Amino acid sequence: MIELRDVSVRVIVDGQDAPKTLLDGIDLDLTERRIGVIGANGSGKSTLLRLLNGLVLPSEGSVRVNGAGTLEHVRKVRSQVGFVFTDPLSQLVMPTGREDVELSLRRTVKSAAGRAARAEAVLDRFGLLHLADQSIYELSGGERQLLSLAAVLAVDPTVLVLDEPSTLLDLRNRELLRHTVAGLPQQVVMSTHDLELVLDMDRVLVVDNTRIVFDGGPAAAVEHYRALCAASFEDVP
Amino acid sequence: MRGHGFLLANHVPGNSLLHRAPLWAKFVLVAGCGAASFLIVDWLASAVVFAVMCGLFLLSGAGVRRLLRALWLMAPVLLFIGLFQWWQLGGPTAARIVLNVLVCVVAASVLTATTPVQDLLDGVAGLARPFRRFGADPERFALTIAVMLRSIPFIAGTFADVRDSARARGLERNPRALVLPVFISTVAYARQTGDALAARGLGDADDAIDDAEPEATTAGT
Repeated sequence: MIELRDVSVRVIVDGQDAPKTLLDGIDLDLTERRIGVIGANGSGKSTLLRLLNGLVLPSEGSVRVNGAGTLEHVRKVRSQVGFVFTDPLSQLVMPTGREDVELSLRRTVKSAAGRAARAEAVLDRFGLLHLADQSIYELSGGERQLLSLAAVLAVDPTVLVLDEPSTLLDLRNRELLRHTVAGLPQQVVMSTHDLELVLDMDRVLVVDNTRIVFDGGPAAAVEHYRALCAASFEDVP
Repeated sequence: MRGHGFLLANHVPGNSLLHRAPLWAKFVLVAGCGAASFLIVDWLASAVVFAVMCGLFLLSGAGVRRLLRALWLMAPVLLFIGLFQWWQLGGPTAARIVLNVLVCVVAASVLTATTPVQDLLDGVAGLARPFRRFGADPERFALTIAVMLRSIPFIAGTFADVRDSARARGLERNPRALVLPVFISTVAYARQTGDALAARGLGDADDAIDDAEPEATTAGT
């Protein structure tokens, strides 16, 4: 259960007197298993997602994950909320997949042998065991994204947040990601520009100009988003 | 982004004497080579030590290609240093300085080629553990090493990409067109890496394995 209560995010920008608002007046209870977030670039999607893991802290209001607030208990929140970034290369820290999954486990598994066994099991579960010792630069985009997913899921979070995970993927790898995410037991919150992926969701939020302007089923949300985009062109000659 | 240009050799699984050697002995080897690079004053002695280190590297079974690759990546920098020192201090001094740098690179490659990264991190965390009483976090020491190992190929890959972009625009002779984008990309990469580590809960305060109970929480950042 994720609760956002009257959340606003504002940042100081050099050369501007007033702080810039990234999100304004967000009030949400996220209980569904699959939640999509769509909206234009710069609308506040990524900021909304980053709030859930404590990467961004609210300037006003509060964010709580299973009762733990991101302001007071950020470590506990991060142990429960896994975060997958758009570009897996900025997420994978170690030279090989095996080492990266083992790095994730350093917080929770004390013995080196325990980490090795657990990492092997995780990689096997995602069909990545045969790539475990390859350099991350030798993997395809889809394999890297799956690997970053495996590294995050290795510590068994209860919530998985994905920030535009399919942006850099070709069709085949996008389908692989879609299939993998569909089979996960975790609650998933995913932002995307891929309107086909959104149709798999139980609930979709449309973010526009720092606010949530629509909250409902996927088909209606996509229709609302299309109308919003079309309206933005009305003034263009 | 190209990222293959790793200065130090990645771990190569094996069962050689060096693979089986205790980590502390390999740390001593690297530290010894670092100290020797200040102490050796004769370029012939440097050449002998360099040959010995190359021999050790090959003994590990990591292969000639990895050795040459590590040396080749250093070539432009060493060429510049060598020419400058030759101009300033003469041939023997230039040869000694270049060979001493190579000794350090090969010694570090022996360590990374024969030691799994997790063992290396455990070793670094173990070495840093006595400093815990002064408030240091051993896991953060280990994480710093991990990030450093990861960042070197990224920066090398970024430089190669930026150089190609500059060439495509006819700006290959403009230092600003090379240095500024690499600098900006490196800073952006550092921020992304920080976010990625924070998102995974790595490097948070008191993030030691010993107190790694998921329920144990501390105040937020």
